[in-house]
Amino acid sequence: MSEAPMLEVQDLVIRYRGRGLFAARPKPAVNGASFRLAKGETLGIVGESGSGKTSLLRAILRLLPVESGSVQLDGQDWLTLKRDALRRARQKLGVVSQNPFLSLSPRLTIAEILAEPLLAQGQRSGPDMQKKIAGLLSDCGLPADFLQRRARELSGGQAQRVAIARALALEPGLMIFDEPTSALDVSVQAQILNLLADLKESRGLSMLFVTHNLKVVAHISDSLLVMRRGDVIEYGRTEEIVRAPAQEYTRELLSFGRGTEHPVIHKTALPT
Amino acid sequence: MPLLNIRNLSVAIPTPDGDVHAVRSVSLEIERGEIHGVIGESGCGKTMTGMAALGLVPKGARIAADRFHFDGEDLRENAARLRGRRIGMISQDPAAALNPVLSIARQMDDVLRAHRDMPRQARHSEAVELLAATGLPDPERVLKSYAHQLSGGMQQRVVIAQALATGADFLIADEPTTALDVSVGAQVLALLRKLVAERGLTVLMITHDMDVIAEACDRATVLYAGLSVETGPVHDVLQRPGHPYARALLAALPDAAPHGAKLEAIEGSIPPPRSQIDGCAFAPRCPQAMPVCALQAPPERTLAAHRWLCHLPEGSA
Ligand SMILES: Nc1ncnc2c1ncn2[C@@H]1O[C@H](COP(=O)(O)OP(=O)(O)OP(=O)(O)O)[C@@H](O)[C@H]1O
Ligand SMILES: Nc1ncnc2c1ncn2[C@@H]1O[C@H](COP(=O)(O)OP(=O)(O)O)[C@@H](O)[C@H]1O
Ligand code: SF4
Ligand SMILES: [Mg+2]
Ligand SMILES: [Mg+2]
Repeated sequence: MSEAPMLEVQDLVIRYRGRGLFAARPKPAVNGASFRLAKGETLGIVGESGSGKTSLLRAILRLLPVESGSVQLDGQDWLTLKRDALRRARQKLGVVSQNPFLSLSPRLTIAEILAEPLLAQGQRSGPDMQKKIAGLLSDCGLPADFLQRRARELSGGQAQRVAIARALALEPGLMIFDEPTSALDVSVQAQILNLLADLKESRGLSMLFVTHNLKVVAHISDSLLVMRRGDVIEYGRTEEIVRAPAQEYTRELLSFGRGTEHPVIHKTALPT
Repeated sequence: MPLLNIRNLSVAIPTPDGDVHAVRSVSLEIERGEIHGVIGESGCGKTMTGMAALGLVPKGARIAADRFHFDGEDLRENAARLRGRRIGMISQDPAAALNPVLSIARQMDDVLRAHRDMPRQARHSEAVELLAATGLPDPERVLKSYAHQLSGGMQQRVVIAQALATGADFLIADEPTTALDVSVGAQVLALLRKLVAERGLTVLMITHDMDVIAEACDRATVLYAGLSVETGPVHDVLQRPGHPYARALLAALPDAAPHGAKLEAIEGSIPPPRSQIDGCAFAPRCPQAMPVCALQAPPERTLAAHRWLCHLPEGSA
């Protein structure tokens, strides 16, 4: 028998309330999404603005009620968990978002930022905690002298490393990334993507990785979900989709810019 | 003669902690009818180069150059007059460029009245024609709208139509597609290429995205730490980059490595903008740096129209 998947989502429908009492029901932000994420794998979710990516993540984090459908997290019926059980189960999730500076308090030291989730969970500060914090930081590729620096003194890439370290503090099984490299330069983006590959390997992490950049997600994900206006229009193994996209839209995204065969082709030829 | 002709431009911004060298030495030659990409990482001076050409540098900034010409006129004296007549600007955030409380009709008409000597009815038809030229499907309806009623892609088209309404034949576009979805951004780039072909427009395209360069530009210049380090036809710069920095930028892209393999990240970061640079600015991060690189500014290497600055001889990639 195979192991339970880290995450299994079936026929998930998410709909925001219309404005005003008699407003027409808006169309669903997510319209029946189904997918499955095996342990230790990465699922990339790609789609343009408003396609429903963040809504999907928020529902998985239970920040948003769902209209119908089911979510199984590590074999548990995740949508029916209440209070303490929900709190405990949430620790299986780590979250990293697009703008690291918005998610880190500028005046705290990095040591204080990394201690926060541990203290909130009731762990006591002391040498053990200090050791753990130093380990998290070095796992994320920052030297120990960063512990005493403050968040406002970091570059974008360094701040994103700290945000990842903090999300790892409670040893989640599933890490959720919402556009984690969109605000970074390509050289730094490459560093962060390499870091994620290392963490996946060393910690056996499962990851959900949301972005509008198909080339980024195609590189690091094992399977891929393409969303458009709330619908999942394509879902499968990444290499399959990259090799033979079923949807014209996916093809367009893949061929933007430097292609593989003809790196420089203008889509609108100049009249001669 | 190039339309925009810049030789060794520098822009220094005085601050309480010393001068920020936003642009150290940039040379750019942009021919009529081309889309010329300027690419580099955040903070390398792309925006400030564009701002200097528009005459919009911060108060107190010092501009120096061996040559700083637009169509034969010196930009140091004439930038303010040329801006809004011959030189237009498109920014990353079209919503901020449009006035939220005035209709698009009113905003188009304001521009046309200020720049063209035309009766009211002719201005209206010109506005319709320009909006149609940017590919907006129902120009009359767009004219009646307010900015917030239009999508990002439509707003960017209106901004482009406004720039054309001034009569500008040279556009400085600073990350014009960064805030747009990939598919909408691709349409805006296709529009710019169409306008170049049909109206003889010239475009300086500022971006940090190699895919935008590949998709839209004829030639490109790579900036690093306020210096133009490589320039040439897009085909050469993207496929046979000469400068180790340009090579490293391309190698760091996620599609440069096989699926799941480690990417070639560039370690370290750009030199602080207040620092003095001796030798090659890229030397602390360059995998091929030699002792001479720390001490002497690198010489220019040339292969036909493709030029870059490096101590390594041509063909040593
Ligand atoms: N709080 C909200 N109230 C009402 N509608 C919302 C709300 N948040 C999102 N929506 C709508 O739900 C749909 C999906 O939005 P969502 O934020 O999930 O998109 P996304 O794919 O994350 O987009 P982006 O790439 O811009 O982050 C959109 O139509 C959006 O306008
Ligand atoms: N008004 C300003 N005052 C001081 N420094 C500035 C100002 N504007 C930009 N800079 C600095 O100048 C350098 C180049 O900036 P910019 O041209 O905006 O880069 P890019 O557009 O390539 O990201 C950066 O180091 C930036 O921090
Ligand atoms: S001059 Fe030297 S340090 Fe600079 S890019 Fe060339 S090899 Fe590297
Ligand atoms: Mg989102
Ligand atoms: Mg800029």
